[in-house]
Amino acid sequence: MAETATREFLHNLHELPHTVKDACFRLGKTPESEREESQATFHNLFLHIHSVRVHVRTLKPTLTFGLGLMATASFVITIITGVLLMVYYKPSTDLAYQSIKDIHFTVSTGRFIRNIHRWSAQLMVLTVLLHMARVFFTASYKKPREFNWLVGLGLMVITLALSFTGYLLPWDQLAYWAITIGSNIANSPRELTDAIGITKFFDPGGFQKRLLLGANYVGEDALIRFYVLHVFVLPLTLVTLLGVHFWRIRKDGGLAKPEDPMGGLAEWGGERRTVFQPLATKTYGLMALVKGKRPPVNRGPENTVMSWPHLFWAELSVFMITVATTLILSFYSDAPLKELANPAIPENPAKAPWYFLGIQELVSYSAFTGGLLIPVIVVVGLALIPFLDRRPGGEGTWFGTKSERSVFWQSFFFALAVSVGMLAFTVNYGWLRSWFPNIHQLWIIAINPGSLLVLIFAAWSLFILKRKDSVRLAAVSLFTCFLVGFTILTYFATVHRGPNWHFYWWPSQWPVH
Amino acid sequence: MRDPSRIYRWLLLVASLLTVGYLVGAAVRENYRAQWKVVQRQYQDILRQKATDDRGRELLAKFRIDMKQASIPALGAVDRCVTCHNGIDDPRMTDVEQPHRTHPGHILDKHPVDRFGCTVCHHGQGAALTFREAKADDVFWDYPLLPPEMTEAACVTCHDAEKLPPDQIPLLTAGMTLYQEKSCGSCHKLGGRGGALGPALDNEGAKTKHQLIMTSLKPPHTTWNWQLAHFRDPGSVVPDSLMRNPTVTRRQALALTVYVLSQWKRDVPESYLAPDKIEQKYRALHPTPLTGEQVYQQYCAACHGNGTYSRWDKKFNRFVPAIRGVSLVSTATREYLQANIEQGRPGTQMPAWGPHAGGLLPEEIAGVIEYLRSGASAPPAMTVLTMRGDPNHGLSLFLRNCAGCHGMNGRGGLGPEIGNPVFRRAASDEFIIRTIRNGRIGSAMPAFQRKEAPALGDQDIADLLAFLRTLGEQRGQKPMAQNVTTSAPSGGRP
Repeated sequence: MAETATREFLHNLHELPHTVKDACFRLGKTPESEREESQATFHNLFLHIHSVRVHVRTLKPTLTFGLGLMATASFVITIITGVLLMVYYKPSTDLAYQSIKDIHFTVSTGRFIRNIHRWSAQLMVLTVLLHMARVFFTASYKKPREFNWLVGLGLMVITLALSFTGYLLPWDQLAYWAITIGSNIANSPRELTDAIGITKFFDPGGFQKRLLLGANYVGEDALIRFYVLHVFVLPLTLVTLLGVHFWRIRKDGGLAKPEDPMGGLAEWGGERRTVFQPLATKTYGLMALVKGKRPPVNRGPENTVMSWPHLFWAELSVFMITVATTLILSFYSDAPLKELANPAIPENPAKAPWYFLGIQELVSYSAFTGGLLIPVIVVVGLALIPFLDRRPGGEGTWFGTKSERSVFWQSFFFALAVSVGMLAFTVNYGWLRSWFPNIHQLWIIAINPGSLLVLIFAAWSLFILKRKDSVRLAAVSLFTCFLVGFTILTYFATVHRGPNWHFYWWPSQWPVH
Repeated sequence: MRDPSRIYRWLLLVASLLTVGYLVGAAVRENYRAQWKVVQRQYQDILRQKATDDRGRELLAKFRIDMKQASIPALGAVDRCVTCHNGIDDPRMTDVEQPHRTHPGHILDKHPVDRFGCTVCHHGQGAALTFREAKADDVFWDYPLLPPEMTEAACVTCHDAEKLPPDQIPLLTAGMTLYQEKSCGSCHKLGGRGGALGPALDNEGAKTKHQLIMTSLKPPHTTWNWQLAHFRDPGSVVPDSLMRNPTVTRRQALALTVYVLSQWKRDVPESYLAPDKIEQKYRALHPTPLTGEQVYQQYCAACHGNGTYSRWDKKFNRFVPAIRGVSLVSTATREYLQANIEQGRPGTQMPAWGPHAGGLLPEEIAGVIEYLRSGASAPPAMTVLTMRGDPNHGLSLFLRNCAGCHGMNGRGGLGPEIGNPVFRRAASDEFIIRTIRNGRIGSAMPAFQRKEAPALGDQDIADLLAFLRTLGEQRGQKPMAQNVTTSAPSGGRP
């Protein structure tokens, strides 16, 4: 029998490549039938977060522009390049800057890797913000997706925090002064406590700042804190929340889409087909526990196609587009690295990272209002949207409900005019402090260009609510105002604010230092 | 039915091709087109051409295309300049193009690269591997490469400039001399000695470009270029500069630039210091006093000139007295001069020069007083009269005769500030009376009691003195008539 065992062993050895492949890829071959395509999706950990079939609307590029996926892809890229950078980076004030210089000059393709890390991080912030706008304007936060909107909001905050913490690590002048400004924004409640004279007893601003920096200044403690947050705490939180986010997309029925027509014939893909409605409730087995409608089983053709391969082509292409974009940007544009951090020589202007520049502009009016009150109002306001706008309709369609598009454009130009007007007024005529030098600070905390913008936008939204008699349209107007205001403020602070936060038409007019 | 994923497959193809293309591009740029690799391949060719003897062939065989660096933790330097400057210690490379050429002079004999690196003398970004980034005059780096002729500014990091052969540091030596000749110390402190009108220059060389305003400077925007332009014409780089144009030639400006750039308190381990540098540090604690004339030249001359004439300074909008004028030094007491030098004239441009202010030693102040008084003649004898002065009459006399130049309340104007607290404390009655009577030769101050046409009588002068003594007293406090001692000439002058 020994000979048989030997033969069997040799046979197994010969078959090894196939058996290993079969073990890894359970289907073992390219799927050929829809059944096998289902299996390919179902039997893979990473793919089975997708449903087996996907609605054809989901594949329309202009529905989502792949923004969420781009954000995820940029995150994956930052993780990969981040790990590579971690190998060389030394989180210590004495060594950090030199280690970045070494990455820059001597590590093979180190500069390129750092550029990729930086660009994909910027892309991530940008796509997360755009993704939120997409979800809002396609009304995709509506029931049952309210929770996922909240998760997304959390992801946005973590994304900003990740980018912000990464900003300090090179320990150059840019990093040092941007974080100094950023931590002063954390300190902003002190303006209010100072104004009413209770800072001695109750100092949340100082507490926040010390919590962030581990000291009263940006130093070694701050660097270690930011490093731990940047490479461990925040990515872990983000991955966890991202898992929840994806899982909820699946559980909430995929991407939001309008109801298909009620039975009968429908035209899509150039063909007329019979469309069946899913049953109203789920009735079978454990699935009954899951909220939602019953999938239309055995009911003939619907507006769906197999996820394998169609959805995966789409996802893979978005991923590769993100990779290609970051590579191209990184090839031509180096990540900034200024002089070694020097507490004795302030950058002027010291600017926070670009996505916080809108806030910094508001802080320049009033630290408390701009640095704490308005951001909290914005985040709470965003979180409340799906709970205040509960009437179904328009899901999965850009500007899906009646007169939404016109309200969008009205709000867009209204907010544009108000923001630009407010900035122009402030630059030309100053504000309360320039007219009444001895005015109590509380007046400025209460009445400043930032708080007025918020009030005007809120009033506009209430006006739309009354006039159009629609909560959704009021939400659209408010969100549009927020988006335009954010963009204008960010642009203004980026381009038109120079040394001492004075107004300049272009950075080329700044006095050169 | 149209394939719903067709467009995505095309996008995927394009994106993937771009990705592969740019990855390949980056790899080529990094591994083949890198500037230092190109340079090293050129150097290898040069080595091959020069490999005519055994030694040359050995060097060629040993040469590897690889990154090279001098890492000197003690100086905080990681200098990769030698990655491209491969031939600096090869004496055969005098006839080839940069960056392959031999280092000029014999500096490297005593300053081997592996102990000193490059940037400790040349500045620049040592870690960089491209010339643009190493030169660093338009990248973010605090200390860009010094032009070759300015490199001597760095010698004083470890050497005492006075002990180095002057022909090796011609600009630095010239700058040091010019600093004294141009009396820069009148306004600037160096090592705790000097005036207070301009900034102290102790760490001027450590300044980065962000500490200087570059707005009106022609590029390159480097500190050395700023200093150079500033010495040629201070007003051209600092619009409202109070600094007097030092009126120097281009070469002198270069020398002064090198000298101020050398003022840099760098922390260098003691093992790097030349013995004379350590002695210099010790000497700084126990300075040898300068002579009175040297003190005057270095610390007074910028404002007072040669001191024999008074003048109106347009920039300061203030009168500058002739402190070596015969009539002043003949009348002023030693104590009066000492008080004015040690305490200055608060509120004017004249700073205090005592040991805790301008940093002059007591011997030096004594010396400079001697120097000031060297032209004095013996004052004529005087008869002592005792008179009572009336400050109210004195006030009217003051307004009529004095306020035009000395300003209301003696605040100063065309003439010096005689209401100044130091003046009031230090000037003796005799000094004031003599000055009023005889005036100041070589200045606008006339004699008020000339024999031929006495403008003021003895009683008038007593009244005026009484008034002057009330200056600076608190307002509302009515000046009271008081006893003053005045002196009248005993039988006129010879």
